[in-house]
Formats: sequence, C-alpha cells, structure tokens
Amino acid sequence: MLTFVVRRTLYMLPLLLVVSLISFMLIEIMPGDYLTKMKTNPFVTQQTIAEMAKRYGLDQPPLVRYWYWFKGIITRGDFGTSFETRRPVFYTLFEGGRLMWTFIVSLTTMFVTWAIAIPLGIYSATHKYKLSDHTLTFFGFLGLSFPAFFFALVLLWLLVGVFHVGQHGLGIGGLFDNRFIDAPWSLAKLGNFLWHIWPAWLVIGTIGMAGLLRYMRASLLDTLSLQYIQTARAKGLSERIVIYKHAVRNAINPLVSLLGLSLPNLVSGSLIAATILNLPTVERAFFSSLTAQDDYVIMGALLFFSLFLLIGNLVADILLAWVDPRIRYN
Amino acid sequence: MKRLIVILAALTAILMIPVAVSAQGYDKQPADAVIVPLGVAGTDYAALEPGVRGGTVYVGTISNPKKWNAVTAHETSTTQYTNIMQPGLVNLNPITAGYDPELAKSWEVSDENKVITFKLRQGLKWSDGTPFTADDVVFSFMDLYLNEDVETDTRDVLQLPDGNFPVVEKVDDYTVKVVCSVAFRPILNSMTANILPKHKLEQFVHKLHPEVAADAFNQIWGLDTDPKELVGMGAFMVESYTPDLNVVMKRNPYYYHYDSKGTQLPYLDKYVVLTVASQDVLLLKYQNGEIDCFAPRPQDIPILKPEEKQKNLTVLVNKEMPGFGTTWVVLNWDTQDTKYRELFRTLKFRQALAHLFDKDTMIRNLFNGLAVPQWSPVSYLSPYYAGREKYAGPVTEKNAVVFPYDLEKAAALLDEIGLKDTNGDGWRDFADGTPVEIELNTNAGNTTREGACLIIADDAKKVNLKVTTAFIDFNVLVNRLMGQEDYKAIYLGLTGGTEPHSGANVYMSTGGLHAWHYSAATGDITEVEKRVDELTNLAAAEFNLDKVFEYYKEYQIILSQDLGFLYTINQAFVYSYYNRIGNAQVASPNATPSGNNGLTMDFIFRKS
Repeated sequence: MLTFVVRRTLYMLPLLLVVSLISFMLIEIMPGDYLTKMKTNPFVTQQTIAEMAKRYGLDQPPLVRYWYWFKGIITRGDFGTSFETRRPVFYTLFEGGRLMWTFIVSLTTMFVTWAIAIPLGIYSATHKYKLSDHTLTFFGFLGLSFPAFFFALVLLWLLVGVFHVGQHGLGIGGLFDNRFIDAPWSLAKLGNFLWHIWPAWLVIGTIGMAGLLRYMRASLLDTLSLQYIQTARAKGLSERIVIYKHAVRNAINPLVSLLGLSLPNLVSGSLIAATILNLPTVERAFFSSLTAQDDYVIMGALLFFSLFLLIGNLVADILLAWVDPRIRYN
Repeated sequence: MKRLIVILAALTAILMIPVAVSAQGYDKQPADAVIVPLGVAGTDYAALEPGVRGGTVYVGTISNPKKWNAVTAHETSTTQYTNIMQPGLVNLNPITAGYDPELAKSWEVSDENKVITFKLRQGLKWSDGTPFTADDVVFSFMDLYLNEDVETDTRDVLQLPDGNFPVVEKVDDYTVKVVCSVAFRPILNSMTANILPKHKLEQFVHKLHPEVAADAFNQIWGLDTDPKELVGMGAFMVESYTPDLNVVMKRNPYYYHYDSKGTQLPYLDKYVVLTVASQDVLLLKYQNGEIDCFAPRPQDIPILKPEEKQKNLTVLVNKEMPGFGTTWVVLNWDTQDTKYRELFRTLKFRQALAHLFDKDTMIRNLFNGLAVPQWSPVSYLSPYYAGREKYAGPVTEKNAVVFPYDLEKAAALLDEIGLKDTNGDGWRDFADGTPVEIELNTNAGNTTREGACLIIADDAKKVNLKVTTAFIDFNVLVNRLMGQEDYKAIYLGLTGGTEPHSGANVYMSTGGLHAWHYSAATGDITEVEKRVDELTNLAAAEFNLDKVFEYYKEYQIILSQDLGFLYTINQAFVYSYYNRIGNAQVASPNATPSGNNGLTMDFIFRKS
C-alpha cells in the first residue's frame, strides 16, 4: 500500500507539469493581456504601457516567460507575483483566511448534504416506488436542475423582499452582519455565522443532494436483494436491524470513495454560489484574477485545483481499498 | 505649601485636558484649517447642513482593493481608498467641479506662466502626528511620481508638451515652486496627485537610499501591510481590511477640515465599504438596509422608486449632472479596404450616420430615460463645455453642434455621395456596384452598448444602409481600437475629466488613442486636425480662463462637426440614500459626478 501511495504521489509531478504547460498555453491564447484594459485610459500614454510590459515581462515570448516562471519554482520555490497586488500568487489567492473559509464552507456543506441525503436515500430505498419515493426523487432532481445563481438570488430576494429580515437586524450574504465582521469571536457571532451560512448549505447542498440520494438508494436496493438479507429476515431479525445493521453498512461502502472524489469540489465547484452569496473563497480570487488576466495568479490557482483533484483521486482509491477488503493495489 | 500643591495639581489637570481630548481622537484646530461652510448662504455648500458627530456609514463596492499604495495604483478599486487617505495640493470641489485649494492654501502663477508657487497650509499633521511640510510635497513629486524607478501613470499627466517634466522645489517649509519649461495650465489638474509622507516612505526609495532595491517602493504598502503603518492626511484612514467582505476606515484625528460651527470633520467615526461581488446582491443589501448609500444602475430605479416612502429613502436622478466621459461610434479612416477608407473620410457620410442615431430611443429603452444626448468631446459638467455661455456659465446649449435624428436627411446625404441601391437587393451599394456593409463592434456582455448598436443598425436599415453588429471580447475590441487589427466601426466609451486637456491623447493628431485616424501622426493630417492641435496647445499655454474657454469652444465645435467620434448618449447622475444620512443629497460617498476625490464623505453624517 505504501509503495502504491508513493508511486502515485510521484506520478503527480509530471502530471502537474503537463497541466501547467497546457494552462499557460490557454492563458496565452486569451486575447490581450493584463495591460490591455489600461490602453483605453486616455490619461495613460503608450510609452508607459510599454514600460510596464517590460517591467512585468509581458514583452517576452510566452515560452520564455513560462521558462522563467518554471525556473522560479524549481530554484526558489517562487510561483510568481501577482501583477495586480504585487504580492506572491498564493498570498493573493489565500489572503485573509480565504483558504480556511473555503474549507469551512465546503466541509460544513458536505456534512449537511451527507447528513440529509443518506437518510433520505435509505428512506427512498425502503419505500421503493411509493409516492414518497417519487416525491423525494422529484425534489432531488429539481434541486439538481435549478441553476445555482438563480436559486441563490431568489433565496436572497425572498429573505429581503418577502421576509424583510433587515427589519429584524439581519443581513444577507457574506459570512456575518456588518457589526460582526471585525468583532472578536463570541456566541452571538457564531449564531450570526450560522444565519449567513445556511443559504450556502441550501444552495450548494441541493446540487449534490440528488446525486447522493440516488447513489444511496441504488446501492441499498442492490444490497437488499442479496441472499444474506433474506437470511437475516428469515431468522426473525427485526426489519430495523436488518436494514441498519446488515444492509446499510454494506451499501454505504461504495459511497465512501465518493468522499475522496468530492475533495476537489471542496476548493472548486461553488464559484457561482460563492459569488452571489458573497462568500470569501479561493475560487472568487481565482475568478477575479481571470477577469484581470493576472497570469501567474491564474497559473497558481489552476495548479492548486489540479493538485486537489489528484489528491482527491488518490484518497478515493485508498478509501476504497480500506473499506473493501477485496480491493488491493499490488 | 499644601495649597500650592493643590493649585499646581489643578493647573496640571487643566493643562492635561487638551492632551486627554487628543487621546480620544480630536486634535486642536490648525491655523490654516479648511472651513467647509455647510449651510452658509451664498456659498457652494448652502444647501447642506452642519451635522452631528459619531456613527458609521456603510456603502458597497464590487471589487477588493489591490494595494494601499496611491502612487502605483491605477484602478478605482484602490484609489477610492487612497484618495480618501492622501489628499493633494488642490482638489476638485465636490459640488462645482472647480479647483479648490486643499493642502495648498493658495497659489500664484508667475514668470510668463511657467512657475506656480504654492503656499501650503500651516499646522497640518499626518495621521501619526508628524507635521506636514514642503518636504513631503517635494518628495512626492521629485522622488516618487517623477522617479523612473517608480511605476506610476501619474507621470504621464505631469509631462509637459515639450516632453520635459516640471521641477518641484522647496522655497521654505511652507512654500513650494513648480517650475515648468513651458507655460502649461493643465499642470494644475495634475496637482490633485496624492501627497505622501516622506518620513514614512523615503527609506524605500532607491534614489535616496541606494541600499534598497530599485523596485522596493513599488512593493510597499501592499494588502499585507498592517493598516497602522499607513499614514495620510485625509478624512479617514484604513483601519482593517477583510478580503471579499469589507474595508473599515476610521476617522483621522488630525484631519484639517472644520464645519462652519467649528466642529472638526469628518462627522463619522467610521466609514465602512462592503465588498459585494454582484450588483444584484448589492441592490438587495441596500433594500435590506445594510448599506446606507447606493449608486443604482438605471434598471434599479423602477425597483427603488416605489420603496422611497415606505423605506424612508431618496432616489436622486439629476440629468443636469451626467457623468464625465464620452460614448461614441468611431469609423476607421485607416481601414485596409480603400473603398471604405474613402467612405469613412467623407464628411457627408459621417453626417448621415450621425443623423441616424435615435438618441431618444436609446435613452428610453436602454437607460429608462436616465441619460442625456451627448454632442461634444468635453463633458457637460466641465466649465469649458461649449454649451455654456461663458467659462463656468449656465448651460444653454447655444453653441452645441447637434445632429438630430432625421432619417430623410440621412437618406438624402447618402444619395448625394452616390450610395444607392444599384443591384436592386434593397441595400445601398458603392457607385461601382459593390455592396456596402459596415460591421459595428462593441464588447460582448455590455448590454447597453449592445442595445445601442442594435438600435443604430435598425435605423440604418430604414434608409437601406447595411450595418451589421458583432459583439466581441473586450480585449479584442481594444486591439482593434488601437489599430492593431483591422475593423470598420466600433461603439465604445472613454473616461474624461473636468479639464479638456485630459483628452489630448485622444484628440490631438499624434495622440496614442487618436482612434479614427492614427495615420494622422505620420503626416496624413487634415485641416481640422491641424486646428485641433493648435487650439489644444493654445488652451494649454493660456492662463486666462475666459480665453481658454474661447479656444475650447472652437475646439469642441470643430470636433463635433468633423465627427471623428460620433457621440451618442451619457448616463445621468443617479443616486440613492436612506434619509437617516445627512448631506448625502449633493455629495455621495461613492458616486460623485466629479469623480471620487475623497472629499465628499467628510461632511456626511448619521442623523440621531
């Protein structure tokens, strides 16, 4: 197992190299560069823009720039500097606890999604083809097919326009009400955080809910049709014990690897919801670097997201081997 | 003896009082404080009222600041904070858009208009308590803006017509001289540049301290800098910054503006800017009462207007205050196809096109009526606008050159230059029978520009002129506008200012943004372009404002008649605020028509 993990980790390096090369080429294909926007400013002369291009190395051919960037990583561990902030790319991406908030938002969302979807999946499977099963499936898919930006906006509009939460001193979007943003942590601040985070759970959660619910339902239905369940029933065990002790425990195994696969979703996968709900996430920093064509920040973010994708796949494989003794990587 | 001690103790206590007050955040009034005559009849501020101290005002913005360095900043997302923290020698009056003395008390022009001597205000202090002197001014200009090591676009607006830069010299502690090699009136506009504290920053300037790297200054005062390190003289200083959430600004206890009653400004204790990524959510946050003042889009007005009474807020629409800047259609006089090149250089064709612009429909459909037609390269608010009677006089539009929407006239002009439908397909053709087809570009995603293009194409169709539209990526559009790629017609806008010279880069034949006719720079110059160059130089060298007005009047009239840019419409000033905020009606914290000069929020207050 250890050799497997080491081998997989080593494979990541060439993979990331290829990812970086492709990313760099894609950025180059985008028309214009960081300075293009400045060109329409009547107050700025072409000479100044040319000087800035030289300062930022934007006057060099793409391959030369890629080489300098790559050399910086190998020799100094330097992933480049943001044109906009003149700070290292990972500072620009992660500043102000963005990384922490990204994980808090996504981990809590994931927890809530699982905590709701798994019981519902079980319920759905044990009430196969009944009205309640169809209703759950219907709402699950409704949530899946609802565009996140629209759902988030409608939700906020309901809070403001229909429930008038502002009259009760409650804010919308972001992580806290104005008065709590810079306040030290307290019970009141935690309560306020919960008030601001539940729309994120709802909006981001509903996207993942339907899939998970159907996975759980299918897996449990498979298990329930196996002979050992029949045996359990035949020896007179109560239905509750048959389902929860014998069936669900086995049915949930394949879902464990889903946990690993959803790791990359933790850092990327909720841009639109985070933008509308105004959550400080790494992805939003990535998005603004894209609109500004802040090349090295884009590169840094893409590498970061790719790394999580690779780690997620590795974790999924490890988890699968861990829960299922039949799977061995040797 | 005991009594003496008591008296001494009492005296000490009394003497301690000012110190204690200072520690609470109020400083004693400097000799040369700026008095803002709020509510004083006969002044610019007559319509405002003296306020009460205390409280916080919340506003919203779309993007995070990029740094705290005013010199290297070149975006409003950053300068909206740095301009509050670091005022300049002069500043734009938030109400009249004229120049007011700011850190300078007064100025005098001498030596054939080549020298401007600024008398500085005395007794002013930086936010860390260090006295402000002429050294800070000389440092800011000579060691920062005019230092080649420093990355700044302010250097561009300091450049004189002969290519030289002014020299800023210290005369005494409170007098500086700006010496120019040629008389150049617009240099006054550049004196709005932020003044920075020498005592904090000189250690990062390679020129003064060769031991630091040449690039050192460009790196300092980044977002990771402890806000306590930031020093300025403006109304508020940044206290904290939380990415994607907010920027908190705290009142500067040493601020030198006072109201007519002698109360030190700003009234507010804190000014908080929330970062909200989406305009729609910003509107919801405003409706929810989380932000106090809001700059709505035209489409937000019908949503906010019905809520005015119920939510006790005001929606302000002022068509007398359209924003600075221009919106226009430009035809490429240098396009590769010689037929089109000749066509676009034909004045009558450009006139016909101008008569096709249905500005009323654009205003009604795209801006909910909240816009005004635009005719001139100079902004309506500028005291030099040709529609005025005289310098800073009332707007009568007497001298404005207008091309009213007139399809018949447009058709007649097109007939006159020989654009007729020769092959019978319903579209006009060139005299040799090749069909005319003009592609009008604008940046994809800008719905008002896209809409304007469609309205133009639709009206062109009514006179059988084929105009197609193509909405493309902004950067591709810019490359075309810069002449790096061929194109026929572009719909776009440019920012502007109160001083018409800020358009020199666009309207002078050698300008880097002389978008319709770059070949003018290499000798292919027209009579109109020659005269515009002349007038620009005459107006720049003239210090008598009435004469400057006459030069700029002719400049605007010939440019509007020549139609290098075919101007369209300009959005009116729209603003909204809760009535709990005082003095917000004229001077909005985040949306003044005269630009974001940081001076507007010092007399905003929260009504108790």
